[in-house]
Formats: sequence, structure tokens, C-alpha cells
Amino acid sequence: MKKVLLVFSVVFALAIAFGGCATKGDLEEAQAREKAIAAKADQAAQDAEEAKMAADEAIMKANEAVARAEEAEKRAIERERIAAEKERMAEEKAQKAEEAFQKSMKK
Amino acid sequence: MIRYPINALPGLYKKLHLTVLLMLILSLPGCADMQGLWPKSLPLPAYPADRIERNDFRVHQEEDVIGRLASIRIKNGDTLPDIARHFSLGINTVSAANPGVDIWVPVSGERILLPISFTLPDTRRKGIVINLASMRLFYFKADGKQMTVSTYPVGVGTAERPTPMGKMYISRKKFRPTWFVPASIAADHRKKGDPLPPKVPPGPLNPLGEHALYLSRSTYLIHGTNKPASIGLRATNGCIRLYPEDVERLYANTPVKTPVKIVNQPYLVGQRDGMVYLEAHLPFKESGTANWKKAYAKLKKIEKKSGHALDWKKIKQVVVEARGYPVPVSLVLHDGGMRTADPIKLWHPRKLYGQPEIPAFTTDAWYVLAAVLDDKVDAQRLAAIINHQGPPIPARVLTKDDRHRVLAGPFKDRRAAKKAAKRLKIDLELDGVVFET
Repeated sequence: MKKVLLVFSVVFALAIAFGGCATKGDLEEAQAREKAIAAKADQAAQDAEEAKMAADEAIMKANEAVARAEEAEKRAIERERIAAEKERMAEEKAQKAEEAFQKSMKK
Repeated sequence: MIRYPINALPGLYKKLHLTVLLMLILSLPGCADMQGLWPKSLPLPAYPADRIERNDFRVHQEEDVIGRLASIRIKNGDTLPDIARHFSLGINTVSAANPGVDIWVPVSGERILLPISFTLPDTRRKGIVINLASMRLFYFKADGKQMTVSTYPVGVGTAERPTPMGKMYISRKKFRPTWFVPASIAADHRKKGDPLPPKVPPGPLNPLGEHALYLSRSTYLIHGTNKPASIGLRATNGCIRLYPEDVERLYANTPVKTPVKIVNQPYLVGQRDGMVYLEAHLPFKESGTANWKKAYAKLKKIEKKSGHALDWKKIKQVVVEARGYPVPVSLVLHDGGMRTADPIKLWHPRKLYGQPEIPAFTTDAWYVLAAVLDDKVDAQRLAAIINHQGPPIPARVLTKDDRHRVLAGPFKDRRAAKKAAKRLKIDLELDGVVFET
């Protein structure tokens, strides 16, 4: 009986002792998880970098667009100025022609 | 030329008109394929240009507004002076009524207003009355109980040499007058390098034209012109100038001793069919606000007496715009009691009276190259101005490689071409080049 009890005790003790230690599988699993997390972190960092780059590019593009719009506006203003100038000149020419005509109508 | 007013069409013409219209209406519902081809509302009918009265009107008692507004569509090559002359209007009136329209190169197809409506000056209705501000002459005649008025546009004196105002009369008349050149005009021409002879016999170079009515105010005349495009301008040395066709009629109908009164009224108040009208012209610079106070008092008096309110906002607008024709200023009542007629649409005549004719381009002749311009409209304007000189100088635009050449001619020989070049230099300050084709 004592012998049986001893065997059980030893088996129990062994079971307890072995139960506290990670198996090789557990270790591999943990390592795999670590790798996955690291990969995810890298991916996140890369994504963040890419997002930042994209944002920078968007800002740059927006700035370029604003610059182009400003340029276009300047050109439009210039065109308007030229058109107004042309109109003024045409009116002046017409006025001058009319004055010359009216002068020519005197005796 | 006999001109019938619209409301006095011969009965036969009316019947024919109605029959054609009825047939047209009856035929339309049967033509399914025609649906959609017609505008949803047919435009108002247009009338031949000679169906509108332009000179002779009856004057009804208590009424001061005569004639009616009309409109016409511009044709390619028309100028406002041509349109003005055809309808016996001055260029001042036509251009004031159509602001923004190019006098010399109006856009073809554009409809312009013909202000053949006038407010009688606020003075006696007897003999000849000339309103300097509106540049219009009115000749009143009593025919029994009926009063008639014949009205013509005029050219008047410049600011430097204004037409005298006041009462005078026709002292004598002369057909084909000789022009004795006044010393002041002789001096002006000498300065320009264009000395004049002491007298100019009748003919195309005589600025008095073919008919002259001498006023009792010495040295002033009512006469024709060899520069018809100047009617409606301040271009004389104090005389009153009329279109040749108008002065011919006035000359024939005006006896010596006819009283003449010259006034300057830029603001004219009138009434017709219960409606009050205001006609505003741009006052001469030297005459300030002229008769505005008197016109304002008249408007106030009419408003008080009639009990009908006037549209004072509109009155202000009429004064500011100064379009030169009578504009209704009564507050419009929505009972249909007071209405003004819409401008009558006129067909463009086949030819405008007095429009300069340009001879065909020939290669065996002399020409004057008046100018070479980049802008086509500028070139067309210059050619039109040259065409409207008195006597006229034919001119056209020749375009090649985006350059527009204004050519005056053809002239039969070098001498004639050189003479024209001299006139272009003196009158329009153009340095023309004479050449033979």
C-alpha cells in the first residue's frame, strides 16, 4: 500500500513539477506571436510612414493647386485688365473718330 | 412722298390683310407637320418703313406729345446717321435713344429704337419754333380750328458760336443761295491751310445747300446743307441747318414774315391721352440746368391739378438718362385706363434715303490710301466717316493678311485723288497716299 502511495505521490509530484514548465510548443507559439506582433508593428509603422508621406504629398499637391489657382487668378485679372484696357482704347478710338467727324462737319 | 398714318390704311388694304391672315390661321391646324415650326406666340406684325408719319402731325388741344416710337432692325452696312436721315431724325436723337450702339458700325440684326415722338416746346404755338436743346424745328399752322405742326431735325451753333435765342421772323428767302464767307470762318479756314474764296456759288461745295430762309436777326439763316450727317450736331456758326429734303419742304411752305422763336428747353413736359410725359435732353454745357425748375414746377402743378400721382423715381431716371424722347411718368393704374403704345416695328426699307453709295471697285482708277489699321471695326468706322463727309468721298475697307486698308475712291484722275487727299488731311487729319491701280 505504501509502495502504491509512494508511486502515486511521485507521479503526482512529477505531474505538478512538469505542469509548471512551458513546453517547446508553447515556446514556439509565443515566439510566433512575438514575430506577428513585431510584423504588425512594422506594418503599422510603415503604414503610418506611408500615410504621412501621402499626407505630405496631398499637402504639397494642395499647395501646388493653390499656387496654380493663384496664378490662374492673376492671369484672369491680367486678362480682365487687358480686356478693359482694350475696351477703353476702343472707346477712346471711337470717341476720337467721332470728335474728328464732328469737327469735319463744320463749315 | 405721301405717307399714310397706320390708322388710316385704305379699306381695301385692310380687307386683303385680314383675308390673308384668316386663311393662314385656318390652314395652320391642318398641317400636323408644321407644329413646332412656329414660335409659341407669333411676333407683332411689322410695317413698311414709309407707313409711319415722321414730319406732319395734328396737334390736339390740351396735348403736347406728337408721333410715336418705332423700331427697326439694323442691316449690314447701315450707320445711325443713315437711319436717322431716313426717318427725319437727328443723329443726336437716334444715338441718345440707343446708348451703347456704335454710331458708325452698329451690329447687324440689332433692333434699334426710332424716337419719332416729340414733346412740343413750352411756348406759343405759332409760326416756327426751334428748340435748340432737342435740335428740332416745329412749324405750327392753324387750319381752321385744327392745328397742325410740321417738324424737322436741325443742326445748331457750336458753344463758341451759338445760335441766338429769342423772337425773330423770316425776312427773305433764296433758292440756290450764294454763300458769302464770313470773316471769322475765312480766318478759321486760313489757319487750317484751306483758304476759302470770298463767296461760294451754288453747288456741291456750298454749305448753305439749295434753299435759304434768312432770319431778321442779321447774318443768321435757316438753310440746307452739303453735310447731311451734321443734322443733330452742334456744328454751325449759329445758323440752323436742315436736311436738304426737309429744307425744301420748309422753304416751299413758309412765307416771308413768318414769325420764328428760338428757345432752349432740354426738359419738356407734355400730356397725351391722360398720361403725363417727360422728355429730357442733355443740356448744353454752357446752359447749366436750363429750364429744369420750370419743368419741375409744371410736373408738380399737373400732379396737384389732376389728382393722379406721378412716378418721381421714374422722373429722376428720365432726367439722368436723357434719352431725348417723351417717357410716360404717370404712376401706372392697373385698370387699363392709361396705357402707352409699344414701339411699332418697321421693316427695313430696301434703301435708306440719302445713304451714301459707293461706286464699284475698279482697277483702272485713282485711289487714296487713307489708313491701314489692325482692327476691322476701326477701319469700317473710318470708311463710314469718310463716306459721310460733305460732299461725300466714297471709301471702302480692303482686308488682307489681318490688315485693313481704308481706300478712298475711285477717282477719275490724279488731280481728283489729290483733292480728296487734301480734304482728308484738312477735315480728318489723315495723311493719305495717292496711287493708281
